[in-house]
Amino acid sequence: MRRLVTFVMVALLALFVSGAALAQEVEWEARGPYVDEIILPIILDQEAQIIALQRGDIHVLPGLAQPSHIERLEADPNVDITVSPGYHMFYLGINMRTPPLSDVVVRRALAHVINRDEIILSLFQGYMLPLAEFVPQSSPFHNPDTDVPEYDPELAKQILDEAGYVMGPDGVRIDPNTGERMRTMTILTPTMEVAPTSAQLGVMIAEAAQAIGLPIVAEPLDFNVIVDRITREVDGGRNFDMYALAWSLSRFPTHLYTLFHSNFDVDGGDNTPGLRDPEYDAVAERVWTPRTYEDAFEAAFEAQEILSWLQPYVPLYSRPYMDAFRSDIVTGYVPHLGFGAASDVYRSIWTPLNIRRVDQERGGTIRWVLEEEPGNLNVLIGTSAYDARIFGLVYGPGLITSEPVNNDDFPWEAERWEVDTWITPEGNEGTKVTYYLREGITWHDGVPFTAHDVKFTMDYLKEQQVPKYKETWDNYSHAEVHDDYTITVYFDNVSYWHAYNVAGFLAKHIWEDVEKYDEFEPWNEPHPTVPGLTKMIGTGPFVFKEYVPGEYVRVERYEDFWAGLDR
Amino acid sequence: MSGAYYWRRLGYALITLFVIMTLNFIIFRIMPGDPVSLVLSPEFTPEVRQMLREMYGLDQPLWTQYLLYMKNTLAFDFGRSFVTRQPVLRELLARLPNTLMLLGTAFVLNVVVGVVLGIKMATRQGSRLETGVTGVSLFLNAMPSFFVGLLLLLTFGYYWPIFPIRGTMSVPPPTEFWPIIFDRIHHMILPVTAVSLSGYGSWYLYTRNNVIGALGQDYVLTARAKGLTQREVLYRHAFRSVLPPIVTLVFLSLPGLITGAVITESIFSLYGVGRYLVDATLQQDYPVVQGCFFVIALAVLACNLLADLVYGLVDPRIRLR
Repeated sequence: MRRLVTFVMVALLALFVSGAALAQEVEWEARGPYVDEIILPIILDQEAQIIALQRGDIHVLPGLAQPSHIERLEADPNVDITVSPGYHMFYLGINMRTPPLSDVVVRRALAHVINRDEIILSLFQGYMLPLAEFVPQSSPFHNPDTDVPEYDPELAKQILDEAGYVMGPDGVRIDPNTGERMRTMTILTPTMEVAPTSAQLGVMIAEAAQAIGLPIVAEPLDFNVIVDRITREVDGGRNFDMYALAWSLSRFPTHLYTLFHSNFDVDGGDNTPGLRDPEYDAVAERVWTPRTYEDAFEAAFEAQEILSWLQPYVPLYSRPYMDAFRSDIVTGYVPHLGFGAASDVYRSIWTPLNIRRVDQERGGTIRWVLEEEPGNLNVLIGTSAYDARIFGLVYGPGLITSEPVNNDDFPWEAERWEVDTWITPEGNEGTKVTYYLREGITWHDGVPFTAHDVKFTMDYLKEQQVPKYKETWDNYSHAEVHDDYTITVYFDNVSYWHAYNVAGFLAKHIWEDVEKYDEFEPWNEPHPTVPGLTKMIGTGPFVFKEYVPGEYVRVERYEDFWAGLDR
Repeated sequence: MSGAYYWRRLGYALITLFVIMTLNFIIFRIMPGDPVSLVLSPEFTPEVRQMLREMYGLDQPLWTQYLLYMKNTLAFDFGRSFVTRQPVLRELLARLPNTLMLLGTAFVLNVVVGVVLGIKMATRQGSRLETGVTGVSLFLNAMPSFFVGLLLLLTFGYYWPIFPIRGTMSVPPPTEFWPIIFDRIHHMILPVTAVSLSGYGSWYLYTRNNVIGALGQDYVLTARAKGLTQREVLYRHAFRSVLPPIVTLVFLSLPGLITGAVITESIFSLYGVGRYLVDATLQQDYPVVQGCFFVIALAVLACNLLADLVYGLVDPRIRLR
């Protein structure tokens, strides 16, 4: 009965999620914004955020995570919650370097005893999506047909028995390689105080494993200690058996390379399981440097098949983005597959463009909470999600973005682009991408946005070796400006992803005088010629107006936005 | 007290400061991990981590880092935060006013209410009023501050929404002087009440117990025998004798005003030092924790010295030695 209830709950959520994000009736326009101003008050406490939404102090509250909060808001007739599958993966990481976890049989047996549905129902009251694959369901690169170990404890016992891991007299299996009782293995989890669900999840997995004779215990530890133990090399290995943590992933499946390629099985590298498989490496390299989208697609599918068999991780669930809106005050919000309606403005511009007040077609103010203090509003420095929210509003999504329903490419500042190859001076093959920029785009101070800004941005990032954008400049060779609106960007190696890495968010006429980018505070410096502006200017739909530390950030609609309603 | 005594105290303070600074450097470096390794992202490759270590100066030998740290810290140059890349001193000074406003107001309220109530109730020992006040004070003192804060947030922010629930100003803020002042006060009422409710009890109990003790002393009996009024006996004799430890306690509590109240700051979204310090500790943001702890250490040492000075002023016996 319990399994049936679980199944129904999870199925309903899956339906709800896919319905919300994939429904064709999602209304959105590639123009806006409708509102005059967005104020982002800073509210740190989650309880205070909920109260602020219910009081009407804020109209948008992104990233609901706690079931109790979701239920409270669901019961409020003035609140609407959007649900979108996210690029998120919570997983059990396994150290494959040492026995018995180096044996795929043991890893697969362990995977067979994990009941994802029960975990999701008991710990999250159904508000998560079970995930057994290595790419979340929200991604077109998700391969649903891999050989994932389904929940089946009897099968787990059988494969252990068949591999010689027979049950010992004390209920613990015997390791056939040593002839002795299997050693006790630990699952590192964050502590109950910091992440109660993760800690509890560790206990549930350990108990399920013990039930089939695998001596596994959960060990809650300080987060810093966990990270240190899973990423630091000790005597050529790493000091852990298993751990339970999460990744926030990106639109493209490049994590299949950075998380599992043997190049990253080094001190500080993210290949924490220590997967070293030449066959997998070859496939992962194709994921990292595909020639075409189709190549990437094929390689990602293959990579998932191999990972599903090897189980270096046991993926557990994926957290959907749940964003709350005061539906009696605002409308027009757009759930974006993989990014939510309000959670990731940096990658999804659709809600800021389309959101409007219920009581007026255009104009007015929207209050969109900031759940943490922005760290640094210099776009080359700020890395937090809260910095990114401001960047998204001010800079927009860049040359290429993705539409919200299926996440297909959507031309933004580039009307179109062509990907080709060239031969580098060293005689190697590289990628070149030619962008045809839209005319009529201007920076917030009125200066036209041109191909020179794109070239400047790429050159600047490379010259300054900006760590945050290493992926952008790492293989960048040079750029050729054909005219104000046409530019070809050359890379030293071949990769289809390069087309998405080219950026033009630095206004040349502002940044060309900046020598120490990490000390530059554009939001604190007045614009040299336009009163009321700072040096934090972009080409996005909103103009940065002020940031009062500890209190709020305020942006105003950019009158001359190239996709504005009056253009 | 002689000048030599103060010089000696100053010398001890400087040695203590040196030890604190050194420990401050060592403790965070022997903790597991470093600020770079704590950033978990699939895009954060080992090369990027190495670039950041170089940017933060963490690739330098420890001894070099230590000497640089000592030299810069003594010049109040705490460097830039690893996380925000902004000057630590500026961030600290920006957050200090809110913390001082919150904890300073609450401190004054705690001391005044606690001490006055303590004196009054000491004279009514055993009465129903005293039992009630002591019970309530003990209860509030035992309540965790986050619980008091959340209770106030729900009561006066949601069910009876008469107070703001975040920050120190309305968004957008008023522009004229008096509205600004009233707006600030309006915003500070809930957080100050939260800190005060869970803080005045200890002052009350300390004062009450000491005054009760003093009231049983022979010199109080003598004062009463001389025919002095109850008020004179209480304030000129009994309270006077418990004043020095209270003054000491006041001075020793002063450094706490700059360490912040992390939970209250978080619940009411105040841009204060407490949250800054805790976040920096969790993220191993060395420049921030080193800078903050240096300032706190200075404040503790200065207040200890000050307490010594003032002790002499309020206690003639010490002044005469």
